[in-house]
Amino acid sequence: MSKGKSTIDQDLIRELAKLLEETGLSELEVEQEGTRIRVARGGRAVALSAAPAPAIQPAAAAAPAANDLSKHPGVVTSPMVGTAYVAPSPGARPFVEVGTRVKAGDTLLIVEAMKTMNQIPAPRSGTVTQILFEDGQPVEFGEPLMIIE
Amino acid sequence: MFDKILIANRGEIALRVLRACKELGIPTVAVHSTADADAMHVRLADESVCIGPPPARDSYLNVPALLAACEITGADAVHPGYGFLSENARFAEILEEHNISFIGPKAQHIRIMGDKIEAKQTAKKLGIPVVPGSDGGISEDAEALRVAREIGYPVLVKAAAGGGGRGMKVAHSQAELSTALATARTEAKAAFGDDAVYLEKYLGRPRHIEIQVLGDGRGKAIHLGERDCSLQRRHQKVWEESPSPALNIEQRERIGEIVANAMRDLNYLGVGTVEFLYEDGEFYFIEMNTRIQVEHPVTEMITDIDLILEQIRVGAGGELNLTQDDVRFHGHAIECRVNAENPITFRPSPGTIAAYHPPGGLGVRVDSAVYQGYRIPSHYDSLVGKLIVHGKTRTECLMRLKRALDEFVVDGIETTLPLFRTLVRNQDIIDGNYNIHWLEQFLAQGGMEP
Repeated sequence: MSKGKSTIDQDLIRELAKLLEETGLSELEVEQEGTRIRVARGGRAVALSAAPAPAIQPAAAAAPAANDLSKHPGVVTSPMVGTAYVAPSPGARPFVEVGTRVKAGDTLLIVEAMKTMNQIPAPRSGTVTQILFEDGQPVEFGEPLMIIE
Repeated sequence: MFDKILIANRGEIALRVLRACKELGIPTVAVHSTADADAMHVRLADESVCIGPPPARDSYLNVPALLAACEITGADAVHPGYGFLSENARFAEILEEHNISFIGPKAQHIRIMGDKIEAKQTAKKLGIPVVPGSDGGISEDAEALRVAREIGYPVLVKAAAGGGGRGMKVAHSQAELSTALATARTEAKAAFGDDAVYLEKYLGRPRHIEIQVLGDGRGKAIHLGERDCSLQRRHQKVWEESPSPALNIEQRERIGEIVANAMRDLNYLGVGTVEFLYEDGEFYFIEMNTRIQVEHPVTEMITDIDLILEQIRVGAGGELNLTQDDVRFHGHAIECRVNAENPITFRPSPGTIAAYHPPGGLGVRVDSAVYQGYRIPSHYDSLVGKLIVHGKTRTECLMRLKRALDEFVVDGIETTLPLFRTLVRNQDIIDGNYNIHWLEQFLAQGGMEP
């Protein structure tokens, strides 16, 4: 899932703004790790965009970590769109944690859509080695949620 | 105005809607199946949500997934495009129940026009001329025989739940009627889940002429002229143009006013198209499409009115500020639907577009979501893009179309570009001398054989 807003590196922006002043340039644009930041003089123009990898280039080009994990053999992906929760109710103990051993069919998390709670079962037995989402995070179909090995 | 629009479609129409949203300054959400993750409009949208695997019923027709996508993105309006859920009254109602606007007509109007029998009865009540036929559905063969004798053979048995050219069987004489009824019923049941059929006079050499309308839901409505969509293959439109070579100004104004008045009486909201068969100076209503249509750019080119923008405006509660006098027609426009199909056999040709160079220049518009390196998925329709050309006269338009078609490069897959290059040089087409059977007859007689 892509969003227009992502976490903004404020230190970088401050540095770039300083560079603008020092060099007398009117505009600076920097791209790294799939994120492009442009700082321009004469306004609050801080344009932030996540540059998506073009279809014909190898996926490794600008792929954040989650993309690689979606190919992980132990990945569990979301079967639906909604909001993911780690526990059956707010404040309760999470269904699983890193290190938990699960059997096929055990509930791993809940994805809620329109007030309906859907329990997502483990597709296989194993140990939870990574949890890839935050409690209350919106998720899309196919989004990597956990790794069970 | 809406805060955020979710585009519940794919391909070129999703891109078209996205462009209008951008020009209105409205943030966009692109939903897509896994097969469309690299779609152009997905990349250009402000946010995107993958809603399911490739099959349409698990993604673009998946109402819970669409609702959930609205919920997690905060979209307050959905544009359904064409096809998929665009004429699903229940979907429109469900959205309204969740306080999400459906950018389209009121659910009741979608419903009325979705049932072809009710649509025809409604049209009749509104003063729109209809094809002579049965008054409602046919329940017994005896009734069919009586109606057919009254209106005269040949007759057409049509599925009430059909539309878009599907679910129709011809009976040329009384002897063929029982079989036609039985076959039509069986096929209708299988295709639409409803075997209700009705009868209509079968017109021998009609043109397909449709009228574009726009209403604000509060009694104001205008027509935006006609489109002649007679060139069809298996009931799928292939080439559309406006003005129709067969109509003069008086005829256009007369049928346009009849239709616009009907929309005012209905308090119709949004865009719509009223489709007619036209023969020997007479118009016969066949159906109304309560959505934006594929060929809408033809009308945009001759009126300079952005139909998607107007659709969004009235959908957000805006009053229609265009009067009929504001609608001016200039020049001539033709659209060619370029499909990923073999131009002779029409076998689908999915695959990767190795080279892509669309034509350009004055009066040339290409509505397409493909790009070099794009892989056409095999799960959906085969439309590569629409080439729309405008000229001051029909002759200039045809010259420009010929030039544009010759410039258009799509390599790596087969397309129907050669079909259009042939058509634009054909004397009947140049003369505007064709009807809804012309293209299939041309193909059957080997018009495309080398």
